[in-house]
Amino acid sequence: MTVKTLFIGMDGATFTVLNDLIKPADGGPVMPFLARIFEGGVRAKLRSTPNPLTPPAWVSLMTGRGPGHHGVFDFIRAEERGDEVFFTLYDSRDCRVETIWSIASRQGKKVAALNFPFTAPPPKDLNGFIVPGFVPWRHLRRNSYPDDVYDRLKTIPDFNAQELAWDFEQEKQSGNELSDHDREQWVSYHLPREKQWFKVAEHLMSEEAPDLMAVLFDGVDKLQHQAWPYVDPAMQTGELSGFHKRMRDLSLGYFRQLDSFIEALVTAAGPDVQVFFASDHGFTASTEIVRINAYLAEKGYVHFRELPDGDAGARRDNSYFAYLDWHKTTAYCRTPSCNGITIRVARNPGETGIAPAEYEAVRARLIRDLEDLKDPDTGERIITEIHKREDVFPGAAMKDAPDLQLVLRDFGFVSVKNILPVVEKRNYPIGTHHPDGVFLAYGPGIERGKLLGRRHITDVAATLLYSLGLQVPSDFEGVVPPAMFSAEHKTAHPIVVGAPTLNGLNDAKIEAMDEDEKRQILEQLQLLGYME
Amino acid sequence: MSKLMKDTTIATVVAIVDDLTQDWGLDTDSPSGATTMVVADLEFASVDIIQLCVALEQCYGRRFGFQDLLMKNGSYVGDLSLGQLAAFVDLKLNTEGAVL
Repeated sequence: MTVKTLFIGMDGATFTVLNDLIKPADGGPVMPFLARIFEGGVRAKLRSTPNPLTPPAWVSLMTGRGPGHHGVFDFIRAEERGDEVFFTLYDSRDCRVETIWSIASRQGKKVAALNFPFTAPPPKDLNGFIVPGFVPWRHLRRNSYPDDVYDRLKTIPDFNAQELAWDFEQEKQSGNELSDHDREQWVSYHLPREKQWFKVAEHLMSEEAPDLMAVLFDGVDKLQHQAWPYVDPAMQTGELSGFHKRMRDLSLGYFRQLDSFIEALVTAAGPDVQVFFASDHGFTASTEIVRINAYLAEKGYVHFRELPDGDAGARRDNSYFAYLDWHKTTAYCRTPSCNGITIRVARNPGETGIAPAEYEAVRARLIRDLEDLKDPDTGERIITEIHKREDVFPGAAMKDAPDLQLVLRDFGFVSVKNILPVVEKRNYPIGTHHPDGVFLAYGPGIERGKLLGRRHITDVAATLLYSLGLQVPSDFEGVVPPAMFSAEHKTAHPIVVGAPTLNGLNDAKIEAMDEDEKRQILEQLQLLGYME
Repeated sequence: MSKLMKDTTIATVVAIVDDLTQDWGLDTDSPSGATTMVVADLEFASVDIIQLCVALEQCYGRRFGFQDLLMKNGSYVGDLSLGQLAAFVDLKLNTEGAVL
């Protein structure tokens, strides 16, 4: 058996950087193998989910459906309960639709999915392997599938679960301003991590040769958050400091290593494999902090709660979610990563928030207020796009989405802290998510040297299933880009839309959750305590 | 049925904890039991408690609403014994039954 389809995820990869890294330079391009992929394959910008964020975007990529259907909107899920709001973490059980791992698996294809978020806990009936991403090393064994795979990985020379796995303490730094020393450490931290994932992928590919081999390298995103000024070609002008040069060398070293991993995997997969690459979003520079809840407080929607003294107060202040007076707050932003506004509606007696009848009027006023947040010097709107949830999150899970989804003028993520001024210039630009990621394809049956128009992130799932020789489920939002494949290939392998996904996969669980709303609130409560 | 499911709830909890912590290199003097404290004795961080809750839910094929156990008067509890966890699971099983 040989690998039929190889999928390499590169979290946060953007053509802004990759186009530069494949250019000939002194001593050759930083990513010479990727240069060959560009030349011999097809590429397109890939439009992410309305909030270009890891959880909704990767789940859309893995399901071919938007967040309004799959129901994963953020890292953190909030549930209002009386006069408290509890914050929980999403996991794979919250995804309401079928993944490509399951779709391919139940049609007899063997799959391996490495380091993808929201694959933990893993499904019980997979034909293949899952080693999940975003899971601390102490829990990798239990969250990997099948049961014996973790012990098998331990036989790989130099396998180190602690190097491989997600470290929450490290990840908390990604959106913060760090010292020069910490930024250097941050980049260095991701070099051995990627090597560990590469070794796992290499091992499973040679031992198992799954039909669909998929591995995600998430260091691209992590590195770019803190090292954007050193990788963005537009920021390599003028006199560069020694630190800048050192950080650029370190960052390019990361990409050089990634290129060697890609080459090794593609080569090992053999000449008959179709290879696809995609990112969940792109990257750009964020130059300002926008304290959205502080602004909503000025407008009377948000009422902050006073922080407790001592360590508890410090933890609260450092937390990722809003600390508010729920009796008085009517609209707020829950987490920095959501970039959305939730309107609190009192649907049952005793609940706080606005009356249901006021909803449309309050939302219209809120939109106007958000539009009024402007740069005092230029008059430019700080929030360039304000989307109503029914416009961007249609589907059965829409009620869990923020009421309004925001896009800032620099594509940054908001702050939920109670600090003024509302808008403040950053000390240095940091990387933030841009809605345009990357999509590349290479191999037999794929066009050569072609640049396609922008595709959508949900197209990736459809394309991978097609590459496996499977039909595209009729309820997918994503489609196979016809121009990606040669005419001969499409004649021999027509693109067929077939039976819908097994919707209702998680329906029993969802139903139980709905009926038992109060009891299902905090399955991962303590983790959030950890994050505080 | 999960291979970790035992005759009693406390035995199941202990089996799950032993399975969960097998790679941690814990330096414990005695086997885990009802009086074992997850933080003081097993060095659980909050993320580990969550993973334990998920493992219990998977083993029993249902959600237990652990927030009722983990949160008291709006604050997170500082530590828990395996006995407390088992008693909570028993309470939920006896009052609400298994779902799956």
